[in-house]
Amino acid sequence: MAATLILLSIGLPWLGALVVWMVGDRHEKIQHALAVAFSLAAGVAAVILLGSAGKETALTIPVGGVFGDFTFVADGLGVFLAVIATVIGSLAVIFSVDYMHGEHQLGRYYAFVLFFIGAMVGLVLTSNLLLMFVFWEITALCSYALIAFHNDDPKAVAGGVKALIITQFGGVGLLLGAVLLVSTTGSYDINALLASPSSIPAGTLAVLAYGFLVAAAAKSAQFPFQTWLPDAMEAPTPISALIHAATMVNAGVYLLARFFPAFKDVPGWTEAVMLVGLVTALMAAIMAVVSNDLKRVLAYSTVSQLGYMVYAVGTGVVFASQFHLLSHSVFKALLFLGAGAVIHSVGTRDMREMGGLGKKMPFTRVVFIIGALALAGLPILNGFWSKELILEAGLKHSPIWMYILMLVGAGITAFYTFRMVWMVFYGKPKAEGHIHDAGKAMKVALAPLALGALTTWLLAGPFSKILGTETLPYHNIHAESTWEILGEVISLPTLVALGVVALGLLAWWQRDKLGGLGKALGWLGKAAAASFGFEAINRGVVKGTQGASNGLSVTQTGLLNWNVLGIVVALVILFAVLALGA
Amino acid sequence: MYLYILIGAGALGCAIMAIIAKKLLSSAIWLAGTSALVALLIYLLGAPEVAVIELSVGAGLVTVLFVFAINIAGDEPIKLRAIPPRWLSGILILFAIGLLGYFAVVPLMELGAVDLPVSMDADFRSVLWQERNLDVLLQVLIIFTGVLGMMGLLAEGHKKESHPANEEEKPA
Amino acid sequence: MSMNVPSVFLIVVIGLLGVGLYALLTVRNLIKVVVALQILVKGAMLAFVLVGRLTGQVNLGQSLALTVIVADTIVAVVGLTLAVQVRRKFGSLDIKDLTTLKR
Repeated sequence: MAATLILLSIGLPWLGALVVWMVGDRHEKIQHALAVAFSLAAGVAAVILLGSAGKETALTIPVGGVFGDFTFVADGLGVFLAVIATVIGSLAVIFSVDYMHGEHQLGRYYAFVLFFIGAMVGLVLTSNLLLMFVFWEITALCSYALIAFHNDDPKAVAGGVKALIITQFGGVGLLLGAVLLVSTTGSYDINALLASPSSIPAGTLAVLAYGFLVAAAAKSAQFPFQTWLPDAMEAPTPISALIHAATMVNAGVYLLARFFPAFKDVPGWTEAVMLVGLVTALMAAIMAVVSNDLKRVLAYSTVSQLGYMVYAVGTGVVFASQFHLLSHSVFKALLFLGAGAVIHSVGTRDMREMGGLGKKMPFTRVVFIIGALALAGLPILNGFWSKELILEAGLKHSPIWMYILMLVGAGITAFYTFRMVWMVFYGKPKAEGHIHDAGKAMKVALAPLALGALTTWLLAGPFSKILGTETLPYHNIHAESTWEILGEVISLPTLVALGVVALGLLAWWQRDKLGGLGKALGWLGKAAAASFGFEAINRGVVKGTQGASNGLSVTQTGLLNWNVLGIVVALVILFAVLALGA
Repeated sequence: MYLYILIGAGALGCAIMAIIAKKLLSSAIWLAGTSALVALLIYLLGAPEVAVIELSVGAGLVTVLFVFAINIAGDEPIKLRAIPPRWLSGILILFAIGLLGYFAVVPLMELGAVDLPVSMDADFRSVLWQERNLDVLLQVLIIFTGVLGMMGLLAEGHKKESHPANEEEKPA
Repeated sequence: MSMNVPSVFLIVVIGLLGVGLYALLTVRNLIKVVVALQILVKGAMLAFVLVGRLTGQVNLGQSLALTVIVADTIVAVVGLTLAVQVRRKFGSLDIKDLTTLKR
């Protein structure tokens, strides 16, 4: 049963990708319908899979001795992320029906979206490290292709190439880990590593641990790789929602959470993870304050919230990290799709040219504000509960200065969220032309997400059960009821955190009176606008890679004869080495 | 033994002729000869099933394809100088073959006058369908690629025929 | 040290590989390239059956050779299709005219 469901939730999107592509771009309506049908079917399969979650290997595909068996395990962590990828992914597809209406080359668009969703499901469900690497790279390829979807726009192409090159550092880290693992233990099985991390030498384990940290940081746009995600904003907005909420960036946090039991005893690793999360969360929050591009603000907020999740993994409370991932993927998908509705209607992403849109787009305003309040971490919304869980984990398991800085980050989050909502929906109307509310398919996608942002925190109990020791034997998460978890959240530190959030709100309210403070912090704003110099470094890396590729292209003569000559020369050298060696 | 040497020499000779033949059509015929002789060698090795397939597909079907393609593409012998110098290619290939022979053939010869051992494994069908079932299924995918290729090969002739027809329709 | 039956087959295999590789190095006609590939692959196929026989698993070698035949035929089909289409588009079968992707 579980085996069939795993095959369905990976295979349906991939089959859909093939079918939508083969239908051809002349039949747009059929393409829209097919893409929605296949992604929804995959979502249904993944949700049913929740019921048969277990720690045993559910599906084994033997492929001979070299790569190990391709195994899939439907454990709590994997199934939960598979549900997020397919359900949020299918909402993004539904939203696309309106957003991409009348665009050219829909086949390419939907094929890559569905391929992306399927690969993400495979990535989280497989327990073979090599196969995980393959899926990891497929997601990188799809994100590149989708960010650069408008391939006649040089900015979009540059953003896509940047995403591809930067995330490749992650791919290299993961591949290194896989090769090291197989050379020391002779198997690619992840669960064997998690069961007995002491079976491999401490030095090798440390290389693995830090390699995977690099991989996760590159994929989840953490410090110092954080600059690719904002540049990925050139993508069509549903793609941004897909990358930010459903698929791509979750992979890094997933990787850390998955391997946490194996690496937690590596000296300095948990501290390094916490530090990466902390620096990212703060830096990205400050950058969000000075940005005027609606989608960029959201992108920086994603980077910042991912920093919170990474920090939570570092403190050892994997549950808090994954619970925030759940909340985040719901409210961030809501925010992105809401922003998509706004951008679709106004035709610009610059918040300075918006303002006063609330009256003309009442539905969008309501759902967007729900998402924004969840992001800011106001009570009752799901973001509040999960962020408080992370902060409490930080209070208990990390140095106090880290906790305080994370609190400050929460305050800044509240500040830029209110700034964004104000600039878009309130104030003087600046945009001209025909402004219309979200379309029908957009509303269909937005409404369940808004409902989710209001209610997913009620799932805390079942969520802790599915991540519990029954399906994740090495993670030490205890199943508790919703009320127990919520009871833990409501305590004195929470009031402090709420106070900080209120302070953030107050700071935006009284922004005119704080002019002096703003001027004093002007240098910080300037540094933040320049991404604290990391933009330049990352750009240098991208340029260097492209230059090296250009230089190496000399070896690609395009002439068969020379290429075969190279092969024969290599053959002769190989034989000569063998002859000398023997 | 001498039979094997004779057939092997024939196969090699046909292969060389296929390369040095001036006309593409005769090149294709020599290739068919190589294929048939290799099929014979395979039969002598005790693999009659594959020998039959090689004879019908390699020597038959592929030759038909070659003749068909040469008909469309035209058979003008191009006299062009090789891009890497011939002497360099020759030396390299001699080196490669020589080393390969040194590694593979010499140890075999040192065994003395051995004959081919008798095969002990399961019969062809069960090996194919039980031990290598995934490969057999994946072959279907490759064949699908071939179908797409055939469509490309046929599309040309089709277009040539339909083109004037379109022009006739346009004025009307 | 003397010639025996397996070594005769092996020499034929190596000879076919050599002829095919040499042709790939020197030939410039696209259809001739496909011919060279066919010769190369015939050598590999014979090697599969030979090694199967030498290790007492001739039918495993046979089944691998069958896969080679399938792949090889498809290579011929696709290669010839490419040659025909290239001839249509560039008016020549010279592989030197095919470096436009590079430029």
